[in-house]
Amino acid sequence: MRSLSIRGFLVALVLLVLAWATPALADETCNSPYMGNLIKAQEDYLYVWTLGMKGVGDGSDKLVTIDANPSSSRYGKVIHKVSVGGRGEAHHMGFTDDRRFLWAGGLDDSRIVVFDVGTDPARPRIVKRITDMPKRTGYVGPHTFYALPGRMLVQGLSNSKDKGGVTGMALYSNQGELVTTYAMPTAEGGDGYGYDIAINPRKNVLLTSSFTGWNNYMMELGKLVANPEAMKRFGSTMVIWDLKAFTPKKVLAVPGAPLEIRWSLKDGDNWAITATALTSKLWLVKPDANGDWQAKEVATIGDPAKIPLPVDISIRNDGTGLWVNTFMDGKTRYFDLSNPEQPRQTYEKVTGKQVNMISQSWDGTRVYISSSLLANWDKAGADNEQFVRAFKWDGKELTPAFEVDFNKEKLGRAHHMKFGSRAMKAAYRDAPLASAR
Amino acid sequence: MPRSLLPTAAWLLAGLALAGPAWGHGDEARDQPPPVKADFAPPVPGTYTLHSIMRAPGGQVVDLDGRDRRLAEYTTGKITLLSFVYTRCRDAWGCPLAYRVFDAVGAAVERSPDLRSRVRLITLSFDPRHDTPAVMRQYAGEQAARGLDWRFLTTRSERALAPLLGGFGQDVRAAATAPAHDAVELTHVLKVFLIDPRGVVREIYSTAYLYPEVVIADIETLRLEGRSGNAAPAARAAGEPISR
Repeated sequence: MRSLSIRGFLVALVLLVLAWATPALADETCNSPYMGNLIKAQEDYLYVWTLGMKGVGDGSDKLVTIDANPSSSRYGKVIHKVSVGGRGEAHHMGFTDDRRFLWAGGLDDSRIVVFDVGTDPARPRIVKRITDMPKRTGYVGPHTFYALPGRMLVQGLSNSKDKGGVTGMALYSNQGELVTTYAMPTAEGGDGYGYDIAINPRKNVLLTSSFTGWNNYMMELGKLVANPEAMKRFGSTMVIWDLKAFTPKKVLAVPGAPLEIRWSLKDGDNWAITATALTSKLWLVKPDANGDWQAKEVATIGDPAKIPLPVDISIRNDGTGLWVNTFMDGKTRYFDLSNPEQPRQTYEKVTGKQVNMISQSWDGTRVYISSSLLANWDKAGADNEQFVRAFKWDGKELTPAFEVDFNKEKLGRAHHMKFGSRAMKAAYRDAPLASAR
Repeated sequence: MPRSLLPTAAWLLAGLALAGPAWGHGDEARDQPPPVKADFAPPVPGTYTLHSIMRAPGGQVVDLDGRDRRLAEYTTGKITLLSFVYTRCRDAWGCPLAYRVFDAVGAAVERSPDLRSRVRLITLSFDPRHDTPAVMRQYAGEQAARGLDWRFLTTRSERALAPLLGGFGQDVRAAATAPAHDAVELTHVLKVFLIDPRGVVREIYSTAYLYPEVVIADIETLRLEGRSGNAAPAARAAGEPISR
């Protein structure tokens, strides 16, 4: 803390009292295992789900498409944008199992927008809006969009009754019709909170984490950190579910708001890792010698006393390394996961005044970083950088590749990123592959 | 097993015999052969719910004798397992996997007096230009003559196929560099649809979760549901998804 400005004071207050974090989820290695067509070569496009900012451009939430292929004459440029109308706290996205459609949600208005990214991947278009999630499910704040075969599992962050953290998951068909809902457990240690979803189909396991409700994530940061009661209302659990039966099997105590979940993709591995926002720790989830699932703290991220606020993680495709972005200090850290029981930080770099999401290419040589956490939690003034920055990673150093300044381009707050490819096209041009939408 | 598929099948089975409990992250695990069996015990049939996802779409298909038939004839009246395939498929994680799983499920159904008359398997081509009834008959081999109710179907044209692909939500893509359809390598996300006797899709499987023992447990769950009369709510209209 170098100054005693109002902003500095606020940050100091955050560092002293806080312990919260937020949303993230991205990159090619974190896609649902049910998703086909993973991009293992060069991605062509970077889709950025962007929060509208009042007085900036049209002020609307929008999906921004950036050309991400170095061989293109438009490399690093915004080539398309589609506004959805209004500001609903645009946050996360997820592809359907066939990667033809991209679902995107708003944490405030609880609206879901479905983009067709299969017909023309360079020019996504809106094909459906789901506006009745709170009314139909009782849940608000659609966060994680996780593909199941022919369906989309949507994790809520809150509920329409009291807008606290007790919530659930909503299952939709790919056509956008509600199939059923699943409440987060509130018994046997469950706090009822939700955040991320990650599935290990070979073990028939669905793993969930927990964050906080609408009352907190929509509150201005200063008010939130000054409210001790509000600060108590953060998740402290992860839940092991029987995937087939969709029933909770075990609640794991993971204090400090466990956020993103990443399963190791290495053959034979059977563990997942997460970062806790409030306590700045890495936690490992794996079965013990008796096959009983356990969670244990395995590493510290930065200096927890300074509340670096880990917000997103990205795992290598072989499970040997993990990127961690921390919002408050703007750092991107790399942890060696060769021994997941003892992660070891081997690199760090300040990549922005505020950083949130981090996405890596399948081969790990390209890393993308975005800036925005939540509209009411982003920094102010000159620290409110809004960008997408691309880097090359050679195993030793992050080297800048390109940057899009979302303030200068009058786009808004850059949040979640997903990759696109022009590699495939529909076999039958006249087939109504996008029918029933 | 058609003779043309024997070398592929032999390779596949040899690979399966060596396969360990791979991760099952679908696409990225494709350097390895598909797993032989699930690495977990499926829940006991009847102890869980298979929700109504959507009504199976209607449309016209062609049987092995070249006769036009309504698809609904094959998606109602029995518990039906349906998969889209194309006979030129060489992806071990694609159509050959569906064939192998269907063969294993069929064997279990044949052995079960409770299931034998209640279950039907449908292999439906999404490559009508190549997969004529004659080609499908060759692909079916002895399976079509087996006591099992396993039907091999195709369509008259891409026009007839389109509403089926759209209704089921089955993607079919072509390699971008292919100059003409006959040379096109088709790709798709393998999906297998479990349909109840009312014609309602109750489960959809893809590569990462397509295990015979899981499918059989689900079939048993639907059979038990039919016996108790406690079925999930019906679909609204053909080709339309269901809401609670």
